[in-house]
Amino acid sequence: MSAYNRNTLLVGIAIVLLIGGVGSYFASGDPDGLEKTQEELGADQPIHEGVESPPSVFDGYGLKGLGASFWSNAVAGVVGSLLVLGILLVVARILKRRLPQQGSDRT
Amino acid sequence: MHIASKFLAPEVWGTMGAVSGLALGGALSMARRKMDDRNVPLMGVMGAFVFAAQMVNFPILAGTSGHLGGGFLLGVLLGPSLGIIVMTSVLVVQALVFQDGGVEALGANIFVMGVVPSLLGGAVRSLWRRPGWIAYAATFAGAVVGVLAGATLVILFLDWSGTLPQSVSLVQALGVMDSFHLFIGLVEGGITVAVVRFVLEARREAVFGAVPATSAAEGKA
Repeated sequence: MSAYNRNTLLVGIAIVLLIGGVGSYFASGDPDGLEKTQEELGADQPIHEGVESPPSVFDGYGLKGLGASFWSNAVAGVVGSLLVLGILLVVARILKRRLPQQGSDRT
Repeated sequence: MHIASKFLAPEVWGTMGAVSGLALGGALSMARRKMDDRNVPLMGVMGAFVFAAQMVNFPILAGTSGHLGGGFLLGVLLGPSLGIIVMTSVLVVQALVFQDGGVEALGANIFVMGVVPSLLGGAVRSLWRRPGWIAYAATFAGAVVGVLAGATLVILFLDWSGTLPQSVSLVQALGVMDSFHLFIGLVEGGITVAVVRFVLEARREAVFGAVPATSAAEGKA
């Protein structure tokens, strides 16, 4: 990996983890625009249960059972961000592998 | 703005699942042709950033909060096809791991927060090749429009599903939803302009590819 790409990753990850791991602890707990609209309209009229979300160690953006403590929120922010990053790096690798003909700067 | 599954009728989430599936398929096949080595880390980092930033709800008016959508931002910095792919990854992780947004509602949520704003963001992307006040203004305004478009679509999906209360007219519902999201959109616009500017200053080549030869060549480690 070039130094350019490595620095993009390292600095980017540092910024993201600061936002997701620490900054998010200070997030407003008020309902968001959609939730508030549904409250205001009295729109709470679910029509079916919906498929249950798959089992997870997280209960919303916190560890199950630990509620909204700083660390529980931080783990959710860090794990979620890194999970998205990891998935995208894999997707990018697959997208690049499928075109062998041009610019072969693969190592 | 994540819709929970229980508010969407099967024909709605089914249709939107198909629409977003097609959009994602198109995005993947276009991205395959344009992938550049330097896109890769930026794509990953921007996805992680959108996930993290979405956790930071900021207060707007009276007991209401909002958070960044990010689809427009991704459209500007990565182009519409990578933007859709990145936003889909964020929404899938949110739905499957953090119970934010329903699993059946994924297609609708991808359309509202990914496909529409990423296409809009992609439309102003080329303005940033030569940044000036038009690029700033179009990006700010576009991000606001993206949020309002999303908010409007959500209400239309709820109306189509029959989950708006009968005491409220569609116009009233749109009025409430869009007025909250106007404020959220203004913040989205500000954050979007700031982040686009920051990333372009720090990593222009990762956004627009190689720059003329004079700029320092990167060391091949």
